[in-house]
Order: sequence, then structure tokens, then C-alpha cells
Amino acid sequence: MRPRALLILSLFAALLLPWAGWQLVQQVEVVLREGQEQAQIAVAQATARALAATTDALPVAGPGLYVHPMLRAPLLDGSGDEFVQTDPARSADGRLRVVLAEDATALFALIDVADPTRDRADATDPLGRIGDRIELSVIDDRGLRTFVLSNAAPGALQVASSSAGEALPHGEWQETDDGFRIEMRLPRPSGRAALGITAIDRAAGIERVIPLAAARADVLPLLRPDPRLDQALAVLAPQQSRVRLLSAEGWVLGRAGALAVDEPGAANAAAPRWQALVYRLLLAPPEESAASDFGAALPRLLAPVVWQALSGVAASNVRSSSSANSVIVAAAVPVGAAGEERGALLVEKSSDALLLLANRAVFGVMAMSLIAVLLAALILFAYAGLLSLRIRRLRNAAERALRPDGRLVPNLPHLAASDDLGDLSRSFGRLLGEVGTYNDYLRTLASKLSHELHTPLAIVRSSLDNLEHEQLTAAARTYAQRAREGAERLSGILRSMAEASRMERIVAGADGEDFDLAELTRGCAEAYRDLVAPRRIVLEVPDGRLGIHGAPELIAQALDKLVDNARSFTPEHGWIRIRLRALENGAQLSVANNGPALPERMQERLFESLVSVREGAQRGDAPHLGLGLFVVRLVAELHRGEAIAVNLPDGAGVEFRLRLAGMPRAPL
Amino acid sequence: MARTIAIVEDEPAIRANYTDALKRLGFEVWTYASRAEASRAFELRLPDLVLIDIGLGDEPEGGFELCRELRSKAPTLPLIFLTARDSDFDIISGLRLGADDYLTKDVSLPHLTARINTLFRRVDALRRPPAHEAMINQGALSLAAERMRVTWNGTEVPLTVTEFWMVHTLVRHPGHVKNRDQLMRDAQVVVDDATITSHIKRIRKKFIAIDPAFDEIDTVHGAGYRWKP
Repeated sequence: MRPRALLILSLFAALLLPWAGWQLVQQVEVVLREGQEQAQIAVAQATARALAATTDALPVAGPGLYVHPMLRAPLLDGSGDEFVQTDPARSADGRLRVVLAEDATALFALIDVADPTRDRADATDPLGRIGDRIELSVIDDRGLRTFVLSNAAPGALQVASSSAGEALPHGEWQETDDGFRIEMRLPRPSGRAALGITAIDRAAGIERVIPLAAARADVLPLLRPDPRLDQALAVLAPQQSRVRLLSAEGWVLGRAGALAVDEPGAANAAAPRWQALVYRLLLAPPEESAASDFGAALPRLLAPVVWQALSGVAASNVRSSSSANSVIVAAAVPVGAAGEERGALLVEKSSDALLLLANRAVFGVMAMSLIAVLLAALILFAYAGLLSLRIRRLRNAAERALRPDGRLVPNLPHLAASDDLGDLSRSFGRLLGEVGTYNDYLRTLASKLSHELHTPLAIVRSSLDNLEHEQLTAAARTYAQRAREGAERLSGILRSMAEASRMERIVAGADGEDFDLAELTRGCAEAYRDLVAPRRIVLEVPDGRLGIHGAPELIAQALDKLVDNARSFTPEHGWIRIRLRALENGAQLSVANNGPALPERMQERLFESLVSVREGAQRGDAPHLGLGLFVVRLVAELHRGEAIAVNLPDGAGVEFRLRLAGMPRAPL
Repeated sequence: MARTIAIVEDEPAIRANYTDALKRLGFEVWTYASRAEASRAFELRLPDLVLIDIGLGDEPEGGFELCRELRSKAPTLPLIFLTARDSDFDIISGLRLGADDYLTKDVSLPHLTARINTLFRRVDALRRPPAHEAMINQGALSLAAERMRVTWNGTEVPLTVTEFWMVHTLVRHPGHVKNRDQLMRDAQVVVDDATITSHIKRIRKKFIAIDPAFDEIDTVHGAGYRWKP
């Protein structure tokens, strides 16, 4: 695996540390929160018990009718605009809806009945006709009073009362799209009061009874916010908490206390600290209910914790507050007295402590682990990067060391380093040294071998020469002749083998002179015309003189070799183009021929000694050891230039280019 | 009296072969395997011609040493160097040992004997009084064919036999281009083109040493050489 991949992997592994810390803190926070909630429930339960013990204003068990407090008397026009209609009391089938409200002196009622069939008659009909009507019964300290409300036509409410001399309710009867509506005013019942409302729907002589309570004659106690409850709660409410006492159906009947922070969206929300933001991001608890369920002004609370408490099980939750630094912990517990459930108590408290604790822990852990991780990552990265760099440098040096022509010029870095990389570098160096030595040996092998073989060859030839002078049979003469031919070939081979190093020596020892390269090229080209026939020579040489400082005989020799080479590869009626071009600081001499293209990988190696791309050499031909192009390269380098071979475009053939800058002038 | 030829060669087979060939031609042959041996013998008596192998056994410089010794004793003694590599030519000529010729051991025996005969002919020509002999004069050059002597502006140019034959070929037909094959043939050597080139270079250097303005040998690239008329 590459070091960088390994590094990234280990970085991920290292990131487990802060993640683990985060998980831990989350767990701690959960535990703390649950503890807080439990504590809150305990407090709420204690408060509920104290409340049940100290007050007798607890609401009655069972369903009731909530009476909304009102500041001003509504206008009795049958529209019901001033009533809070969000949560009316309903009959079982929902056709009868009632909203009650009261001010200082009177009780107001808004009664809606869905009644598609109209059968109207006045309650006070002189003929005693009856139609759709409302039966209203009021029980208070003064006893039971019953009224019948019905109008034949919209207008002032017609009320019939069973008891005489009573102050009658008055109001307005309105027809609505789906039935009728009554908006009325009653004298305020005193003491514990209860109301019974039943709607009678008369259609085709059949009467349908729609009671608000369970049955026609049942009454529902009136529930209203009670200042006695407020007082009791005020005494018992824990510090910085808001407590609310709810009826069995969730109506808020008593409240006390206030939260230190407001609900979200309040005007004076505190500016969130950045730690709190992080808290929200990392640890914010899931919200079970929207904060709007707990609004301070709500007459009725329907949050899940409330319902749970109202069904007898204590419950709690945590929600966010307007301040980003704290949350609100709410606990709802059932309130019971004399063995029956009378309602629920909701205690809410804002909690800063939790957040601060969590934050501090989180930040401590996260900061430490983050620093640790960054430090480790930095160190690892630096080390891996450094290692990678050193390895790359070594690799580049090793690749550069082996020149394309087989020469070895090692120049390895880190040779003195004392670590593994240093060992590697030294091993490389030794290896390259061995290879270089071997390459040198190989290169000089040919000439050494040829030198060694000269003496035995001389022995053979001189012996054969002497043999000529002896009497030989015809057969013997034949054998002697064959031996001589073999010796000739051997001699030719040896000469070729030694030629490489001899050429190097000759080229190295060449003297430079000023001469005209253009004239030399022209002269040589003329001489080649006969040699390469029937192939054509195309000559492109500038008119006039092209002076250069160099060794003319060597350049001529190189040209000879190039043309000879070209001739071998040019088909019988092909062309060989010799072109001379003046360059900025020298000249370019190129020999192109049409014929087969060069194999890709050979183009560089052509100029090595002892390389040949000839195919199918015939027996008996002079051995072709490919020295010609080696000589060309030597000559080019002597003249501070280079020799390259390229394929002509369109596969037309091959061109050998000789760039010559001229030999350096020997100091006088 | 038969002429004596001394062969100083450490390889016994070659020594034996040369001895046989020369004896067949009627020469008396003395053979020595090392410089020390030859040196001792030459103290007592000098041969008429010496063939020296350059690399003598343990002493790579042995041949040169012997040559110097002989030259100090007999400046006109014909001396032929035999070498395994023709790369030694440059070294030899650089040392200015004054040998009459350098040949590779590759040389065939007929060629060797032809060269030996030529050298003896020269020795005889030098001993005779300077009678009328065929002289070729070309410009400042004066060439005596039998003595194998070349002078430039009166000064003798110390050429080896091979070099002499090459100059002879060029000067015989001034202005004609002689290609390498012709030069090789006339010089009675079988070498490759590069050696011819280096011979010509050496010839030029020797002339230039006497006369820096020497420019009579013209290179005709692709064709050969010619002597400027």
C-alpha cells in the first residue's frame, strides 16, 4: 500500500478518538438529562401531593365545561366573533358545539348546532308549537333552573323557562349555513356550578336528541381558572419554574411561576454563544413536541406528556428554549385526591446547568483529542511525505543513472543516511556499480578478445603460409585453402570487433581544422552516385561555403557510413537524400532514404556499438556488427553535436540527422 | 654470404613459422624469445635486419627498449616492428623510434618477405655511392626510388617504408586521385580505410614538421587522395 493511502487510513483511524469522545459525551448528556427529568418528575409529584393536601380547589374529576375568562362582554349579535372558538365543547357526534366565557358579572355562551332540517318554532309560541330547540339547565348554589331556547326566525332569542321570576338569559338567534347559532348571556352562576345543554333536532315529527354531556339530563361542571389554585401553586411552585394545573381534559385551571427564559421566538432571546451552537449541532436532544404546545397563553395543553399524565403516568420531556444556552425541562404528573384523578400538574424549568456541563465536557474532550489527532496527523504526514520524497529522489536517480545507450552514471542521493533508505541507496549504488563494471567489461570485451585472438590467428596464418611451400596433395591443398579462408573471415571479425574501441581512440585523437562542409558534402555526394546506382541521390546543399571547424575526414567517414547504411535499406529504384543546412551555431547534415521505417524502440539504440537491425543476413557476407552508426555518433559528439534517427512522416522512410556545432578550437 | 635476420618474438609458434619462411628464402635466422636474450646477443654481433615483436613476454615496453639500444649502436640497421594491434602505430610513431616500418602480425608471409627484400635493397642502395638513380622531382619534393629516400626542400623526411610507398604512388602521377585501395596495394599492406587515413595523416605531420606550409596532399572526399601538382 502506498504511504499516502496508509496515512489517510491511519488518519481515519485516529479520528475515531474524537468520535469516541463525542459518543461518550452524548451518553453522559443523555444520562444527565434523564436524571434531570427524573428529578423534575419527583419535584412535580411532591408539588402535586402538597397541592392535593393543601387545597380544596382542585377541579372535580371527570369531564367539565371550561369557561374562558373574558375582559369585556361580547356583543351579542349571533356571530360569535369574540369567543375563542379553537376548542369548543362538543357533543358526541359533533353537531352541538358550545363555547363558554365569562366576565365579572355574567356568563356568556356560544351554541352552534348543525341542523340541516329546519323546523323552527318560538320557545314562547302561544300555540305551543315546538321545533328545533336547545334545552339548557343550570345548577348552582341556588338550585336548578331549566330553559328552552328556540326561535322561529332569526332575531332576539326566545327563551322559555320552567321557573318563574327568574332572570332569563337573553341573546341572539342566528341561522347559519348548516344550522343555527345562539349567542347568549346568563347571570353568572355562583359557587360550584354545572351546566347541561342538549340540542333537540326535530325533523318530520321525529326528534333527535343531541346532548353535550353523556345523556340528555346530564350536566357538566364548569371549570374556570381559579385564583385559589394560583395562590396555592404560587406557594408550592419550585424555584424558577412554571407550574400549571390542568383539568382532566387538559384545561389550564391554575398557574404560577415563570420561566427564566422565554419560549423560542420571544423578543428578547439571548444571543447564542458559539459553544451553544456546537451543542446544538452535536448534542441537541430530539424534540418530542413543538414548543408551541406549551405556550404560556394557551388555555388548553394537549402535549403528549400532558396526555400521558392525564392517563395516570408521570412523563417528562426536554425542549429547546429561545435562548441557545438552555433548554426547558417539563414534567407532567397526575394529581389525585381522595383516590381519584383530578387532573395533572405540569412543571417546567429552564436548565442551564445541563448545557454548561455538557459543553465544558465536550469541549474539553474534543479540543484535546482534536489537538492530539492533528499533531499525530502532522507528524505522520510530514514523515510520510519526507519518506515519499526521499524514495522518489532515489528512484529518479536510479533511473537517470542508466543512460539509454547503456552507460552508467550513478549519482545516488542519501548514500550516507543511516536509516533503511540509506541502506537501500547504498545497495542500489553497489548494484549499479556492479552493473556498470559489467557493462564496461562487456564493451571492452570485444577489443580485448580481438587482441587476445590476434596471436593465435597469426600462428594459423603464418603456418598456412609456410604450408604453401610444401608439397601437398590436391586434397591437402583444398583443405589448406579452406583453412585460409576461415582464417580470413576470423581476421575480418576480429578487425570489426576491435574497430569500436579503435574508432573511439581515433575520434578522440582527431585534430580540428577549418574546412568547407558544403564542398565536402558535394564532393562525397558525387562519389556516391555511382556507388548507389540505380538508386538516385538527391542533393540539397546551399551554394557557397559553409565553414566549420572540425575533422573533415571523420565527417566524410560518417557520411560514408550513413550513405552505405541508407543504400542497404533503399529499394533498387528508391532515393537517398543528402541535405546540408546551416544552423545558428553549426550545421545539420542529414541522410534520408525511402524504405522501411525504424522499429520504435530501436531508434535510440541504433547508435550503440554492436547493434544491428538488419534482418536475414546472408552467410558469407561480411559480418555486420552495426559499428557504422556508432562511428556516426562518435563523430557527432566530437563536433559537439548529436546524431538522431527519425521515421519520415507517412512512413516514407527514415532520416538520420547529424547536428554539428564544430570541434572546440585547441588552445594555441 | 647469406644475410642474417634476427627475430625477437616470444610466441614460439610464430617464431618457428617466420624462421621457416625466411630460411626457405635463403636467409640465416637468429631467434630470441626475450629482450634480454636478444640484447646480450647483439652485444657480440649485429644481424643485417631485425624483426621485433612489440609485446615481449613480461615487458610491454621491451620492444621499444631494444629498438633504442640497436639504434644507438647501428643507426642504419633495418628494423621492422611487428605488432598485434595496429593501434600501436600511433604510439610507435609518437615515440619516434626510428624504426623502418611497422607491420601487424596479421601480415601474410609473402608481404613480409617482400618488405624485407625492399629494405635490403635500400640498404644496398644506400651503401653504393650516390650514382644516377631514378629521381622523381615534384616541386620541393625529391624522391629517390631505390634508396627510398624523400627530401623536402633538401631536408630528409623520415618516412617508414609503408609511408614512402604511399608518397611514391601519389607523386608518380601528380594531380591524379588515388583511392585507398590503390594506396594500400602499392604500399603492400592490407589494412582498412581508417589505417590509410592515419598513415596519410602521419605523412602530412612529418612534412609539416619540416615545412609548416606543406599542403601538397589533397583529400578528395569520397574518392581518395592526390598530390597537388
